[in-house]
Amino acid sequence: MVVNICYNIMENLKYFEIIKLNNQLKESLSSDPYQVTVLSNITINSLKEILEFSLRKEGINANVEFGDYDNIVQDSLKFTSSKLVIIFWETCNLTDGLHFKIDSLNDKEFNELLEKTKLEIDLVLRNLQNTQLVLFNKFTATSFASHSVNDNRLEVLASKLNEFLATLSFKNVKLINIEKSLINTGLENSIDYRYYYSSKALYTVNFFKTYTRSILPFTMAANGKAKKALIFDCDNTLWKGILGEDGTDGIQMASDSKYGKIFNEIQSIALELNKKGILLGLCSKNNPEDVQTVIDSHPDMLIKDENITIKKVNWLDKATNLKEIAKELNIGLNSIVFVDDSSFEINLIKETLPEISVLQVPERLYEYPQMLRSNLNLFYNLSQTDEDLNKVNMYKEQVERKNFEKSFNNIEDYLTSLQLNVTIQKNNSEIIPRTSQLTQKTNQFNLTTKRYTETDIQSFIDSGETLIYTFSVADKFGDNGITGLCIVITDKLSNSAKIDSFLMSCRVIGRNIELAFMDFLVDDLRKMNIQILYSSYIKTLKNVQVEKFYDKLQFNILNINEMKTEYFLEIDKYNSTNLKYIDIKY
Amino acid sequence: MENRIKNVMAAVFEISVEEINDQTSPDSVENWDSINLMNLVVALEEEFDMQFDDEEISEMLNFKLIKEVISQKIK
Repeated sequence: MVVNICYNIMENLKYFEIIKLNNQLKESLSSDPYQVTVLSNITINSLKEILEFSLRKEGINANVEFGDYDNIVQDSLKFTSSKLVIIFWETCNLTDGLHFKIDSLNDKEFNELLEKTKLEIDLVLRNLQNTQLVLFNKFTATSFASHSVNDNRLEVLASKLNEFLATLSFKNVKLINIEKSLINTGLENSIDYRYYYSSKALYTVNFFKTYTRSILPFTMAANGKAKKALIFDCDNTLWKGILGEDGTDGIQMASDSKYGKIFNEIQSIALELNKKGILLGLCSKNNPEDVQTVIDSHPDMLIKDENITIKKVNWLDKATNLKEIAKELNIGLNSIVFVDDSSFEINLIKETLPEISVLQVPERLYEYPQMLRSNLNLFYNLSQTDEDLNKVNMYKEQVERKNFEKSFNNIEDYLTSLQLNVTIQKNNSEIIPRTSQLTQKTNQFNLTTKRYTETDIQSFIDSGETLIYTFSVADKFGDNGITGLCIVITDKLSNSAKIDSFLMSCRVIGRNIELAFMDFLVDDLRKMNIQILYSSYIKTLKNVQVEKFYDKLQFNILNINEMKTEYFLEIDKYNSTNLKYIDIKY
Repeated sequence: MENRIKNVMAAVFEISVEEINDQTSPDSVENWDSINLMNLVVALEEEFDMQFDDEEISEMLNFKLIKEVISQKIK
């Protein structure tokens, strides 16, 4: 699913729903009104509700009013104090019925019309010189275009007027390419000739929904709401693959590799933004040293340390990290755009930090670059200055200076909303291949990193003394399949047991599943009359995140050295975590 | 169908659904002006996926008549 944050919401709404929501928003916004005036020579009343809604949705308390019908020149003097004036000057109605009358004009008359219109444009824009922002639609004749080889005269007129517009240099005037809205909506869905002939209303509601998308970036920027920072997850977001599993050599982002080329393009887009003063950052669950190695020495990594203003590479949850990013950069959460491939992370941020704009890497990877590109408007800045370019460094210093405390984040509410459930199976010989595969592929959440073949697993089961617990994790978004494994060797003579292996796939970490499972395990062993449970942590390059796992569960240390820590637990003294939000099925 | 029309009318004219009865017309609804009539037509066309011609629009003088115009077209 492509999360196209700003736009899709409106496109799925019916017109009367927009009217209704717009009225509700009007009552909820208390900020100063943002006065918008639309001057037009055709009837475009249904733009009002749609434009107001799209701006109010972003917290801009817009109030849209119209000048008199076909009074652009006169009204350009009346509404100079509006914050935004939109000039909606339709070629086909420059004079009444021009769309067909133009054919009967001789060359002299045609040129007179052209010159007169140019003078009017110039006058209107000079009248509005002191208005904060003027958006001027480029001329189009597409709705009455000829389908023959040659352009008709209306099209010629429109392109000559556009040539003239390009020569003007009013600082407060931005041109809107209305053709793009026509293309995106499709001409048939954009135009309703019925209303054109009955009331000079040419455009449909669907067209205006798309059209407001071209207005939005300018108004966001004018209201200080342009996005300032683009924060990326790393695995399958900046490169193909999972660093902790595939290693530095296994991840792909080369322009000549099958999937890598997508990520090469993503990194290039990010760097272009960075040049314009947009801050780049990382927020990723990984070992910081591993990611640093990629940045420093991976030959295909385009984004370098000097481009990255902030890095939160650790095993904390991403909501906490993003909050800290906002705090350290001293920008609002609503200035941040966050990109991640995981539905879990995307939904976590959506639900706990709705101010942040989130983009999810599409499942069809080839859609990823275009998805990012179509959201670049979010970063639009009315004036790109030298200061913007220095901003990157400025923020960087700020981060280095600032010290801050870790803030508590209530992730429980979010986890509760996920409706997590864990299904545990014991000694299921039907899934031996998957069980063996888990031991061989899992690196990060893996306490002892022992690798077992299918035969090994089979003989464990046959021994009668070894318990193989496997579990699958599901939430309201779907089932992750078998993603956890725990191998326990029991010793009936001494009423003890030892956790030989405990591991979980990185797809399901960060949900406290491991704690719920330990509750279950201890309970299950107690029923078998086990009194002492032994366990160990064996250090590898990739499993630092679980180094203190047993310490947190208050196991006692039996033996410790640099590579290995051994623990024991008296089953009767175990304190259950008792997580209410994870449902265990056995 | 009645409820769908009422929902649309309520949103466009900023009134509550309960207020709407057969006699609801420009005389009883303050916001029922020519611009909102156009909004109403656009919204109804979208809601019922149909198009009204000029004559039909000019018949939409109160809630009862709007119902009739739409039910004629659905037949």
